[in-house]
Amino acid sequence: MTRSLWLTACLATLSLGLVGCGDDTSGTGATGGAGGGGGSFPPDEVGRCADTDPLRQPFFGDTHVHTVLSLDANLQGTRPGPNDAYAFAQGEPIGVQPYDEDGNPLRTATPTRSIDFVMLSDHAEYLGTIAACNNPDNPAYDRPADTSARPDDLGCVEYREELEGGDLNVFRRLNALTALTPENTRYPALCGDPNGGAGDCLQAGIDVWQEVQDAAEAAYDRTDACEFASFVGYEWSAGPGTVNLHRNVMFRSEVVPELPISYFDEPYVEDLWAGLNGDCNESGTGCEAIAIPHNSNLAAGTFFDDVDKDGNPFDSEYAQLRHDLEPIIEVFQHKGASECFPGESISDELCGFEVLPYPNLANTNLQLFANPGPRDFVRSAFGEGMLLEESLGVNPFQHGVISATDTHIAAPGYDDERTFLGHGGAGQANRDFVPEGFPDIQYLNPGGPAGVWAEENSRPAIFEAFKRRETFATSGPHIVPRVFGGFGLPSDLCDSPDFAATGYELGVPMGGELRDAPDGEAPKFVVSARQDPMSAPLQRIQIIKGWLDGEDYQVEVFDVAGDANNGATVDLETCEPQGQGAADLCAFWEDPSFDPAQRAYYYVRVIENPTCRWSALQCVEANYDCDNPTRQIDFDCCDATAGLNVDFCDDVAAELSERGAACCRKDNPESILDVDFCEQVANTLSEDEGACCLPRLETSIQERAWTSPIWYQPDR
Amino acid sequence: MLRALLHYFAIGAVLFVAKVAIGGGDGNRPEVTVVMPAGASGADIEKETRNQILLNEARRYGWYRTDPIVFTHLVRNMRFIDPQTTDDDATLFEQALAMNMQEHDPVVRARLLYRAREALGFVPEDRMPTKAELEQHRTEHPDRFEREGKVRFEHVFLSGTRRGESLGADGAQMRDTLEARGKAPPTGLGDPLPGLRAVQSTTVSDVENNYGKELAAVVDEGIIGMWRGPLPSVYGLHFVRVLEKAPPALPPLSAIEAEVRADYLTEVRKRLSDERMNALRDAYVVQVETVQ
Repeated sequence: MTRSLWLTACLATLSLGLVGCGDDTSGTGATGGAGGGGGSFPPDEVGRCADTDPLRQPFFGDTHVHTVLSLDANLQGTRPGPNDAYAFAQGEPIGVQPYDEDGNPLRTATPTRSIDFVMLSDHAEYLGTIAACNNPDNPAYDRPADTSARPDDLGCVEYREELEGGDLNVFRRLNALTALTPENTRYPALCGDPNGGAGDCLQAGIDVWQEVQDAAEAAYDRTDACEFASFVGYEWSAGPGTVNLHRNVMFRSEVVPELPISYFDEPYVEDLWAGLNGDCNESGTGCEAIAIPHNSNLAAGTFFDDVDKDGNPFDSEYAQLRHDLEPIIEVFQHKGASECFPGESISDELCGFEVLPYPNLANTNLQLFANPGPRDFVRSAFGEGMLLEESLGVNPFQHGVISATDTHIAAPGYDDERTFLGHGGAGQANRDFVPEGFPDIQYLNPGGPAGVWAEENSRPAIFEAFKRRETFATSGPHIVPRVFGGFGLPSDLCDSPDFAATGYELGVPMGGELRDAPDGEAPKFVVSARQDPMSAPLQRIQIIKGWLDGEDYQVEVFDVAGDANNGATVDLETCEPQGQGAADLCAFWEDPSFDPAQRAYYYVRVIENPTCRWSALQCVEANYDCDNPTRQIDFDCCDATAGLNVDFCDDVAAELSERGAACCRKDNPESILDVDFCEQVANTLSEDEGACCLPRLETSIQERAWTSPIWYQPDR
Repeated sequence: MLRALLHYFAIGAVLFVAKVAIGGGDGNRPEVTVVMPAGASGADIEKETRNQILLNEARRYGWYRTDPIVFTHLVRNMRFIDPQTTDDDATLFEQALAMNMQEHDPVVRARLLYRAREALGFVPEDRMPTKAELEQHRTEHPDRFEREGKVRFEHVFLSGTRRGESLGADGAQMRDTLEARGKAPPTGLGDPLPGLRAVQSTTVSDVENNYGKELAAVVDEGIIGMWRGPLPSVYGLHFVRVLEKAPPALPPLSAIEAEVRADYLTEVRKRLSDERMNALRDAYVVQVETVQ
């Protein structure tokens, strides 16, 4: 029985007054959540908070968080659950694995500050699967597998027997189901029906899903103080062939479907969207949901394919669905940046920032280098989307941007380079031992926050900001960027205390659309940003313009404020920043090459002065010793890939061909451009020398913020 | 959290209780032997006794055979001992068990103790709180549920980046301007800064996070109706005039019921864990052996 049939049957059972699935009696398939809380709430509408502002305020949050409820996090030794995660977001320290016998964590993550909103996004897959086999009350508990249909499958009896026999391959077998192709993926047979049904697992999952809702309700501040906003959500974890096609599903309110939609339920993304519309957006219950794609950088070039599940080119309906249900994309998180490909034809030296040398999830887990490609990145999708819009009338990739952590240690907002303990997930688990060297795969990073401009810190205000794309991303620091675009913006707006009021009156904010250029007039942009008081000053503001030129899309980067040559740097011996920067910057900018007939987008990138990357910070703090390396941290820091002990790499490069040398020069962090070739070069050298030629970590980084684009649509 | 555990692993919570209930006379009582170094304190002996009881319960339910973390850890140990082995994981696991590795490995012990303690905290339906109990909990622990007081104030800002060396003089001039305007709002004065609003209602903590301690201290003083400043921050100079300061407030139960319930259940879990652990302790026969 499929999920939808099962839900239908449950509701029918309920209507007969029989015991059915869960406690819901709404008859809709959507529930009011907060099972423990009574289920009756005061109206939650924009304007209910004491501090509400129609000109909007910046808020920071994290919408990608895994707790003990996610199978991978659980098996990596993560113990904190949803309530703990919400507490961490509001400033409480949290235990981090490993744990001692007394249950005390041997490491503690302490937030450097609280954040405003959080959505937990535990994997929808397996929310109920294992529970079904461990609950004697579940019908699946005593049922052996029907191997006539699937000889390789497990029933709960075999599942437990295999565990009893110590065959933990069962866990790998379960996990592997998310990496099967869509046509082959399915619930494990132990869920009850060897023909692909999952009623028993779905039944078991209801309790877990209710726990997710209860925790969100307990954390949500429904008073007019609006100190914290929580969102009910989950992650749909499609990974065919270990290619990442994941989406986080975010609900506007406590009214949510009876169960999440997993990859096993709907293995194609368009069916996920249809399911969200059917179960939620068009259910008439008040339920509202969006999906947030992420990690296009780990999709081996497939994330922005322009074909549907049947291999047919997108049609308008598909494009509209994607446009409507996926207004936002993660452009940055723990598993790398997805903004732009460092080998783009245009000159953009900042594209190398935190780009992973892995093209998919398996390569990341196994740390197998391979080339990323230009189609893995959001900037490419922005161009492709404009091209599709020409023929379809709608841009399926008209995304706004946010960042996230994707933490698997239940630590939302834990994105400070200075305190990074690793996030687990695709990275290093540290389940059994305190790491003696780096606490995570060195190419991963702490992630960053989702920024929004919203009237107040309430669910509806933030959800609406996501929908209209008035969002921004940062690589960790709470940089606050703001931009307005319009044709009538005054050139002195930077000097006006009425900056925001005028911006909204005469223009559109980040995420907005400009249309109808009057008399072909070029659009104007007023962009401002302020530094994070806990981080480095700003170096500059850039506007990245992309436009459609016939069948080609083009990109140009403009420095519009600050100074790229301000001389600021960082002392890699101490990690002390040096030089001056700006606490705030503002600029008025008019597109100098505007063609009113060409589609275009404009997004803002705010760049900080250089600071040490987390890996360099940990090396400096450990007082690493490359002359006499004895500790793991010495070996980690002194490995040439870490970028801290690479003087000899220039000598290595001098002996190589020009192309080979490009891989191995110490000042070439973009060896990621040609990972396969560079690895071949490395293999011709000794181990120490070869490390020079592997993808290099940046020792110092320039933290940054990105705004959602403002889109220009020509009048057709 | 119980559901989290139910989610992945068989739980023995009910079984724990059942075991205690059927304990009966000494002849049926489970036993553990605790080996302690000579000179161990009474507290250390008691702590190890309780750990051994929980580990014994875990052993009785075969958790060391069914727990995935125990499995992978023991297999890893075996591969560390013999990196060249060609045996499969299941074989290595059996070899580890044959060596009794699970009894001594600290990671395995920690894992099983964790599971046992989680199981002890199971909350049955009949221990779920009523509204009256929640209301009592709320009023007995106001500090846990209070909302930080808010301050509403007017705010004028001068940007250090924009004004450079003239910032100090501009600050002095702005102070004169504000005083001259009396009670009139500071409309049209100062520089814009993303997120800074002419009038806002916020907490002192937020002010400190955004603009630093000096500004927060002045706002926290809460002197109504007087312009204060110039006050420095990383961004430049600030002037603030507090309009209203509200004390911390305890919301009604209707607004925070789920929050109170979660907090209440945390306490119930702790209480149940203690009760059940004590019951188990009483049920067991404990032998203490001393080694030099």
